[in-house]
Amino acid sequence: MTPPPERPPTGFARFRVKLLVAMMLVVSLVTALLLVYAQRDVAANVQREFEREFQGELASLHAAEEIRYAMLAERCRALARRPRIHAALEDNALDLLYPSARDELADLMDQDGRPPPDAIPYVFHARFYRFLDATGRVLSPPDAQSAGRLTPGEEAQLTLPHSPDRLQIGYLLRESPGPDRTIDEVVAMPIVSTETGGVIAALVLGFKPFELGGRQSAAGLQSSLWLHGRLWLPSLPAEAQLALGRQVAAATAAAGGLETSFAAPVAGAPSLLFCRLLNPGSPFPPAYEVCIYPLAASLLRQRTLTWRFVSVGALVLIGAFAASQFFSRRLSRPVEKLAVDSEENRTQRQRAEAALELTSQELQRSARFSADASHQLKTPVTVLRAGLEELLAGENLSPETREEVAALVHQTFRLTSVIEDLLLLSRMDAGRLQIDFAPVNLIPLLEGWVDDLGALPDGPEFAIETDYPAELVIAGEKRYATLILQNLLENARKYNRPGGRIRITARVDDGWGVLVIGNTGRPIAPGAQEHIFERFHRGSAGENIPGHGLGLNLARELARLHGGDLRLARSDDTWTEFEVRFRLAQPAPAPVSAPNPA
Amino acid sequence: MKSPLAPAILLAAALLPGLVHGAASVEGTVTLPPSHTAPVMNQRYEIVSEGGTLSTSPPLAVVYLEGAFPRPADPPTRQVAQKDFAFVPALLPVQTGTRVEFPNLDDTYHNIFSYSPAKRFDLGRYRSDERPVPAQVFDAAGLVVLRCDIHEHMRGLILVLDTPYFVVTEPSGRYRLGGLPAGHYLLKVWLTSRTTLERPVDLQDGVTLHADFP
Repeated sequence: MTPPPERPPTGFARFRVKLLVAMMLVVSLVTALLLVYAQRDVAANVQREFEREFQGELASLHAAEEIRYAMLAERCRALARRPRIHAALEDNALDLLYPSARDELADLMDQDGRPPPDAIPYVFHARFYRFLDATGRVLSPPDAQSAGRLTPGEEAQLTLPHSPDRLQIGYLLRESPGPDRTIDEVVAMPIVSTETGGVIAALVLGFKPFELGGRQSAAGLQSSLWLHGRLWLPSLPAEAQLALGRQVAAATAAAGGLETSFAAPVAGAPSLLFCRLLNPGSPFPPAYEVCIYPLAASLLRQRTLTWRFVSVGALVLIGAFAASQFFSRRLSRPVEKLAVDSEENRTQRQRAEAALELTSQELQRSARFSADASHQLKTPVTVLRAGLEELLAGENLSPETREEVAALVHQTFRLTSVIEDLLLLSRMDAGRLQIDFAPVNLIPLLEGWVDDLGALPDGPEFAIETDYPAELVIAGEKRYATLILQNLLENARKYNRPGGRIRITARVDDGWGVLVIGNTGRPIAPGAQEHIFERFHRGSAGENIPGHGLGLNLARELARLHGGDLRLARSDDTWTEFEVRFRLAQPAPAPVSAPNPA
Repeated sequence: MKSPLAPAILLAAALLPGLVHGAASVEGTVTLPPSHTAPVMNQRYEIVSEGGTLSTSPPLAVVYLEGAFPRPADPPTRQVAQKDFAFVPALLPVQTGTRVEFPNLDDTYHNIFSYSPAKRFDLGRYRSDERPVPAQVFDAAGLVVLRCDIHEHMRGLILVLDTPYFVVTEPSGRYRLGGLPAGHYLLKVWLTSRTTLERPVDLQDGVTLHADFP
């Protein structure tokens, strides 16, 4: 087993980086989307919260105003029902009006700067009151102390073209010597005669205007009034008040007069101004409630929020980066293993292929070498034999020399035999030997060999037993089948002991033609049994026996080429037996002994 | 006050001119404004205001002879009571200098006052057991609107006249004013707080003049 490479292949590192980048991209995208969405959501919530707060404050303010208006209207109705007021107004006794009203309105009035009793809510703390007659003219009080002091100019501001027929709101710019001029809210209510049902007078009450959250609320909201073309915000210098007043006038005129909002710098800070007409339809000069919402605080809040989100996003991304790193490692581990394995496999395969190629080349080379060598050897051997035979044919040889030469001739035959065997083997090794299958009857071949053996000059020194049918037709090529039989029979003869016996058996066994050749040769050592079919192997007992160690190898290779096999069936002290099996010829010619050919 | 003989006396006066010396008379019918309420028995008179104009309901008129007449040495005392949360009578003509008492005949407080230019007064709160009975002397001619500070709906009228010759018409509008001095005068009819009719009359002793308004 090849040891695993220390570093994964370079392509794999790229894969891990890609995986990491992809995961980071997805995580970043999701995080960014979530954060953007959440930021928007939260920003909208903050905005809504602010608006709610703002609206709530405005609503409570307006609700308090409504209560005041309702209360004052009721007070006016009650006042009009009071017989004395009624009498004063209807019986042309206006000089008695203020004295009669003094007691009625005493609970509303700040007396000499002292607020009324605590039981009266602050919204009802009136600073002055005046009656208007039916034509809208101010009826000056005989005693300004109880009705609240007003300068003639201020009283002139209260004069209306006619008495209002419903509650009207106005704003009175108080005349004061200092630069800080205050504005009073003025509520004018008609006094309707219980007799005529007509407006006989009006009651005008002056209040300190409502202030939003006490001038400046928690959200930095400021409320102020726009009156007579000027924004009365004490914190601003006069020029700025006038300039803003002009802007408010332009914006409200452009918006149709009722309600509008616009952005403008107030005291150098970007702000949003909400303008609302406080007294629509009033005969008094128009006045706008101007709520100043400093955008700086809101922007700061938004910026803080954004930074908070960005830092949270960065933290999330860092976490996500770490997680991605971890997960990409974890996820890529199997892939890495796979890559390494496949790399190993590839290396091994390449190595095996190279080895195979080498082996094949070597095999080819050695086969070619064998073939070349055989061919190259054959000719000199033939020439040698011819020369020796010619020498034998000569007359002038001594008998000893003749015997020597005859032995040499015999050696040349052995040499030729070895060369032919080698040639055959080399052809087989090169895969160039093709068996030309044909039906071959083994029995005549066996009988011929037995006959040849009997015709040997020295005669057989052993008994030959045969047991075979009249015909055994196998599929094969006759010359190679003959070679196999010759090799086996020669071995049986060569390695037999003197006075021994040879038994040749042939039979048909389950579709195979089986030939068993046994002899009483010396046993083959168990350790050597597996080597007897190797080339140039010769048994230890065979040094003095002619042979070149190719016979059994050749016979087995040929038997296998025929589709059969050769094996050592038995080898003990008394008996050595080889078994060779061939495939029977398929369209076997009907054997004579077989009465029922299938 | 009104006897069934009155028409007969009027007729006799008309038929016998000069029989009663120094006693000129004027009689006639004042066309009263249409009444808004169905006439019922024992109808109470009340002061109503319509468009700021005060009048009685059902309608009544005061016929009087305008002119400079000497004040009586001892002016009479008249009464305007508060009964059942109303002034009784609702409309009272008096000569200047007349003292009017305001007895409270109800079981509750009343507070009679007037802001009228002819007479401003405030009697304060009092009950029926108040003694002496609160009173006011009416020195200036004009219409005095009586109000109660406690009961805003209560209204009463006192028509203060410089003349001693005045009479309240009958519900039908008929009137008779007798005992008049002869001479050239202006005969006036007060119909509402804003409507006063007038016509010049020549009165002769013992002659009953017929004058219808309008």
